[in-house]
Amino acid sequence: VTAIAAPVVRRRRADAGTVLLGIWGVLGFVFLFFPVLVIVAYSFNEGRLLQSYRGFGLGAYADALSNSAITSGVQVSIYVGVFSALVAAVLGSLAGVAIARRRGARWIGWLTALLALVMVTPEIVNAVSLLPWFVTLGTEWGFTPLNAGIVRLIIAHSLFSCAVVTFIVRARMAGLSESLEEAAADLGAPPIRRFFDITFPLMRPAVISGALLSFTLSLDNTVLSSFVSTADATPFPVYVFASVRSSLRPAIAAMSTLMLLLTLVALALVAIVLITSRRRTGEGMSLASTLAGG
Amino acid sequence: VTALALPATRVRGRRFRWNVGVLAAPVTVWLLFFFVAPFAVILWYSFGEKPSLYVTHDNSVLSFDRYVEAFNPAFFTVFGRTLQISLVGTLICLIIAFPMAYWMAVRLPMRFQGIAVALVLVPYWTNFLVRTIGWQIVLSPTSFVADISRSLGLGTPQLLYTTGAVQLGVVYNYLPLMILPLYVTLERLDHRLLEASRDLGANAFDTFRRVTLPIVMPGIAAGLLLVFVPLMGDYITPSVLGGAAGSMVGQQVASQFNVAQNWALGSAMAIVLMLAIIAVVVVFALLYRLLRALIDRYEHIPVLEGGA
Repeated sequence: VTAIAAPVVRRRRADAGTVLLGIWGVLGFVFLFFPVLVIVAYSFNEGRLLQSYRGFGLGAYADALSNSAITSGVQVSIYVGVFSALVAAVLGSLAGVAIARRRGARWIGWLTALLALVMVTPEIVNAVSLLPWFVTLGTEWGFTPLNAGIVRLIIAHSLFSCAVVTFIVRARMAGLSESLEEAAADLGAPPIRRFFDITFPLMRPAVISGALLSFTLSLDNTVLSSFVSTADATPFPVYVFASVRSSLRPAIAAMSTLMLLLTLVALALVAIVLITSRRRTGEGMSLASTLAGG
Repeated sequence: VTALALPATRVRGRRFRWNVGVLAAPVTVWLLFFFVAPFAVILWYSFGEKPSLYVTHDNSVLSFDRYVEAFNPAFFTVFGRTLQISLVGTLICLIIAFPMAYWMAVRLPMRFQGIAVALVLVPYWTNFLVRTIGWQIVLSPTSFVADISRSLGLGTPQLLYTTGAVQLGVVYNYLPLMILPLYVTLERLDHRLLEASRDLGANAFDTFRRVTLPIVMPGIAAGLLLVFVPLMGDYITPSVLGGAAGSMVGQQVASQFNVAQNWALGSAMAIVLMLAIIAVVVVFALLYRLLRALIDRYEHIPVLEGGA
């Protein structure tokens, strides 16, 4: 009896398992989206305080776009995001190529360890160490550009992003053979020309997705920003964080919803870049493994 | 002509390799100057003291006193709570994420997997602080949750500013960091191995324990690391959801720099936090090795050799 019954029971159990896993998965997605949807819903709150809902309206959006603290915060955020992404893209791609093409060199272990350390250091430790450093360099040693909040923010945001871009570019370059570059060298192309004609086009998808990830990481950054920013350059998350302690207004939810749309556009661009590059070259990383850090 | 050109190419090739190595120099200098040097500075500060009300630090007398001071009972309580929230939070993330990632990678049809990954990423790339504020709205006494509780006659629940609120917040905030590495590992899992295991008579549990689990161990390890490390140093989530009852070490460090202006003590606390994280990660790595060795010893399946 057991021998006959076993397969039937097993198949039915597997189906039930799939259903249960499906329910678990859908509940997981509901959990992940819940507070995001709450924020979007409360951005249409007509009340004075974010937490207490007083009817539907678009007043918060008008408030957000006319509040100069919010709009200038967003401007600072976007400006810092763009420039820190540029710094990270340039430094990170160079390092990524170097690590991928010099496999086995002794310094690679040290550099990788340094980059890994940058990624695992808690942001708060990084933040409290950068603050005295900027003050020392800017006021005591006379590096006056470091007294500008914008410069401090760009530098601080670029550190983690440098590591991210390096690992993404390394993953991309490790999967590509060196023969094209060697062929170009044999044909007499000078190093600079080789880089721009061969190496850069090959790594471009990784650089672009790395830069866009750096941009979104910078937009997201609150801890580093709240330590190194100055009164004249306050990014949007720092403004929000200050409001958490006083009072949160629906305008913050409205601007956050707009910023979410901006992030979604950036993400969609990453997806498009990766998908088209994979179609064109027939290789490359899956979106998930790229975004998860290679 | 070819014979003459050959040595030249070789020289050029060597110069090319040298050039490539140099490309790593800018990032190294950048990180040494803006990551290693500042860290060295607070390490130095942590051996100093705060001499007077208006001075943040002084290193004329060097001692370990700040570390002794850092381990006062109040800090110890917060430190214990931080460790508890981090360990429990990491474990809950694993419990929620593993079935989700398994479902996404193994049971979901290929064409839906990209959408599922995007659905994990959208909340993750929403501003961390804003998502946390979303939970603050939900947990606050004026929210719809509190309204429902009142209409059921249960009174207004105290949800916000508790350790439970922080625990919920951190699990929520770091969950995607657990799902993604698990998904990436499970996606590469060869389904034929699972079928083979079933055909050879293993039941679902045995297949999971002896085939799936050993293969996804690296993904689990990556996920645990990716969640635990930032969680332990979290500063935003407890600030928004925790209040005084749910404060964590990150806030203690921050308040020494922001409020108390005691850079010496704050530095010592930051170093302690850093060392604690490294210690937990090292213990974890040792446990992982031990577990792997045990699995290799007792659960070894020679079939895998050919597959991997």
